[in-house]
Amino acid sequence: MRGFERYKVVSAVGALVLFVACGGGSSSSGSGLGSGALLVGVIAPFTGVDAALGPAYYAACLAAAPSINNNGGVGGRQVSCQQFDTRGEPADAVPAANQMIASNSNLMAVVGCTSDEAATVAPIINLHHIPMFCMTGQTEFNKTTLPYFHRLVPADIFDAYAMVGSALYGPGHAPYKRAALVFGNDIGSQAFVAPATNAFTKLGGTIVINQPITLGASSYRTEVAAMLATKPDVILTEALGSAGTYLKEVKTQNGGQMIPFIGTSATIDPTWFQQVRDAIGVADLTKYYGGVDLGYSFSGPAYTEFQTNLNAAASTFADAPKYKQRGSTLHLYDGIIMTALAMVATNSADPTVYNPKIKDIANGTSGATVVNTYKDGVAAIKAGKSIRFVGAGGENNFDKYNNSQSGYIWVTYDNQGNEVKVGQMTPQQTQDISAAGGI
Amino acid sequence: MSLFVAAFGFGLVSMSVIAIAAVGFTMQFGITNMINLAYGEVMISSAYVAYYLNKAGISIWIGMVVGALFGAAFSFLLNRIVYAPFQRKGTSYLGMVIVSLAISLMMANLLLPIVGYYSVSYQEGTGGLIRLGAIILTTNQILIIGIAVVVMLLIHGLLKYTRLGKAMRATSANPTLARNCGIPTQRVVDAVWLITGALCGLAGVVAALNSDSFAIANGAAFLITILAAAVLGGAGQPYGAMIGAVLIGLITELSAAAWSPEYKEVVAFGVLVLVMVLRPQGLLAKRGAMAAAG
Amino acid sequence: MNSYYAINLLIYAGVDIIACLALNLQFGVAGIVNFSFIVFQAVGAYTAAVLSMPPDTAPDYSFQIYVGGLQLPFPIPWIGGAIAGGLLAVPVGFVVLRKLRSDYQAIALLVLSVIANTVITNARPFLNGAAGLALVPAPLADLFDPATYGYFYVGLTAICTALVALVAFRIVNSPYGRTLRAMREHEVAATAIGKNPVALKMTIFIVGGVIAGLSGGILTGYITFWAPSVWLYPETIILFAAVIVGGRGNNLGAVLGALLVPVGFEEVTRFIPSSIGPPGLIPALQWVAIGLLIIGFLWFRPEGVRPEPRRVFEGAPD
Repeated sequence: MRGFERYKVVSAVGALVLFVACGGGSSSSGSGLGSGALLVGVIAPFTGVDAALGPAYYAACLAAAPSINNNGGVGGRQVSCQQFDTRGEPADAVPAANQMIASNSNLMAVVGCTSDEAATVAPIINLHHIPMFCMTGQTEFNKTTLPYFHRLVPADIFDAYAMVGSALYGPGHAPYKRAALVFGNDIGSQAFVAPATNAFTKLGGTIVINQPITLGASSYRTEVAAMLATKPDVILTEALGSAGTYLKEVKTQNGGQMIPFIGTSATIDPTWFQQVRDAIGVADLTKYYGGVDLGYSFSGPAYTEFQTNLNAAASTFADAPKYKQRGSTLHLYDGIIMTALAMVATNSADPTVYNPKIKDIANGTSGATVVNTYKDGVAAIKAGKSIRFVGAGGENNFDKYNNSQSGYIWVTYDNQGNEVKVGQMTPQQTQDISAAGGI
Repeated sequence: MSLFVAAFGFGLVSMSVIAIAAVGFTMQFGITNMINLAYGEVMISSAYVAYYLNKAGISIWIGMVVGALFGAAFSFLLNRIVYAPFQRKGTSYLGMVIVSLAISLMMANLLLPIVGYYSVSYQEGTGGLIRLGAIILTTNQILIIGIAVVVMLLIHGLLKYTRLGKAMRATSANPTLARNCGIPTQRVVDAVWLITGALCGLAGVVAALNSDSFAIANGAAFLITILAAAVLGGAGQPYGAMIGAVLIGLITELSAAAWSPEYKEVVAFGVLVLVMVLRPQGLLAKRGAMAAAG
Repeated sequence: MNSYYAINLLIYAGVDIIACLALNLQFGVAGIVNFSFIVFQAVGAYTAAVLSMPPDTAPDYSFQIYVGGLQLPFPIPWIGGAIAGGLLAVPVGFVVLRKLRSDYQAIALLVLSVIANTVITNARPFLNGAAGLALVPAPLADLFDPATYGYFYVGLTAICTALVALVAFRIVNSPYGRTLRAMREHEVAATAIGKNPVALKMTIFIVGGVIAGLSGGILTGYITFWAPSVWLYPETIILFAAVIVGGRGNNLGAVLGALLVPVGFEEVTRFIPSSIGPPGLIPALQWVAIGLLIIGFLWFRPEGVRPEPRRVFEGAPD
């Protein structure tokens, strides 16, 4: 019976896909790249409790559009960005997505779609055959069957392993033996707990306390007292929005002395940096914080172009340059450029034609020429070469579920909030942790 | 065991913050019949007023006074410009709730582009740690408790021993009768908005200081705790709100010590449901709360 | 392609009309200020979801934790949702409907709504906490060509809306409806002629709960998802705004209000051009516009678009 039910869900999505493939695409297929402006929809929370997320993704589009437009556009078509507010609410996100699609026949890609709304929005966008790049770590997308769904950030469990690695093998400290887990009780954060506990315990550590906390509470004094009573060497944490309140309390109750804390890749974020810096002071933040992030170089021609355009975007969005090291901003920038390149490579504005090409351009086929900018990519395509795009966020490796995986590094912040690489796991360590964690 | 003692100490701080806010909210409800859902947004606005002063180098304790003044002025004007005209038109208390929600939505979203979506902190030392057995508090937290105690005593004095306070209680009990007895209810209502607005503004700054780090979204969160404390004690009853604040503050901290802290609000609200089942009018009932609907 | 947005709006309109009719019965006709109305919709939605979903051990569903998972065929989940809404009304009604003055009822129910949302958000093993329930099966989706499924769902919603409207109109015009109005206008007088106000209120509270539960089932089947962020307490007040803007006590008013406020105001503002200013500015101003529209309507048309007709006995002497 279970198998049957599952078939029903999957077949519904599959059949919907087939239908639109026949009906929806006919208007633009086979006629080259067409004409008129192209639109990238940024669908994300811009108001409500998660209002901080939307701007980070919008910044990515503001940077990507000139990279394409200043280099001939997509077959002459100019790319622009538009925000669509889901209000951080899944039921409001449904009409937001439908309205976006109904009012804009020129959508080339959709970016954003966070854990707040991915569950309701991704199937709709998929139904209309628009490639999307989603910023959700939710497990349900680990093996998604939606062909237009792309995820350039790893699922949350890999973050958890990198954090465990940082605690056990990180530079500049003896292996931490006693870890406290302090994660918000939202779903995104709780996904870290089981893999982190498994890996850390099997590799000889002790989880002294696992503390799920209510996000947005006005204080965490008793929580911190209980946590400190277990005498941890290190805190592994993701409590977005409440990090400042919690960590300041740690410092206060511990007599002005921080204890080391390791954050997920979501803590590499200008608003998180500012919040925690203001709460505990920049000296303690840089000294006691360790983060994990995907292995960004923040250099090279792709990154240079990204940063130039991001700085130029300050004229319309003053805070845009702050996102220069935010992983999701980098990745979405790459996603938009890869989509544009896929359109050029297939000479088609029909997503049913160019969507599969995105994966080829990201992963590269054998003998592909590596390009780092849109301009070089177009030139290589014109020269008849197949290409692999390695962008501002580095290499992408999509698996068959359109999830891209790449290696982690250990990082910290400098005084200005710039990310600084401090080390990375060896392949052996990665293997040990994955085995211990149970994946 | 010492964790419970410590949690009790933290509960004293939490209840102080909630009490200042909840007394103001419940007096608005009790005397002017307004369920003012914009209360949380006025609090957070005041917290930001104090933040910008603090950023300009002014002590947060002065910022607190300015925040209270801002809350008073803003609430007074909000009533004069929006609420009072609607009430004069004969809008029901229910229509007023909708108006106040609309104001709350508008305030939150007008503030968002101004103050930004990120969390900020006051730049102010926490003061030294003071230990009383297992209770560990900072001097700032002790000051917060002190402020709350002084404010509660002032409210008590106001209600019991001043003509204005008596007029307020009379207006609360029966506005028509109060007017017929020669009480200038219009001026009483103005005074109520000024006083409760000051409490609201003060509570906003105190709550922000207490949280160490705050953001625009906290406005809505404040309101929820305030509503709970006010209803627990008996809506419209200042002393009830004080009792409600004490209970909610203590229960959240003690339950965080006893069980997984993710359930701390669940436990506090569970107690509230129990009270609502046993005494739907709240612990202290306003006279007439149990009267027929109307 | 554009039909999807139209279908979406029709379905949301149907759900909001059903909800507003239920609210109008409770509030407009009987005078009960049910500020926890959205909880009844949520209970219906959660019930319909867990009745139609497979157990949380099923491979595609194992990323969430929830009770139930009975995989019951349509329409049992929707009926279950409606029953759950009605069942919830019984204890809630007993607590708040007994003797409390209506403004106390209102604030007590408002707090109840907040509590329910906090509990479900934080008690994850029950209904998957803050993340909510995903992959709720759409009713009968496997019987239809996906092209026509949207239209089918509109039809399904329309049938439910028509049924609920029929019930609502019948109640309003029945002797029972007259008694409710009498009680609303003068409870003491109604009691004096032998009517039991608590029983009367309880009955209509349960009827409203059943209809609200059904609206939740319809909504969750369409968006195939349900989470605490969908049913925060302001949603209730938006629905109250709809009933008042439409015309309290008038079923037609409730329908118009549903079309104007939750559908009209919230959707029209999406079309404000958003390319001006930094990101977030226009979305924030959309909310300001919604607030202004509500306040404007309450100011300029406090009696509503379609006020309740005055019912006068024609043979009465002048």
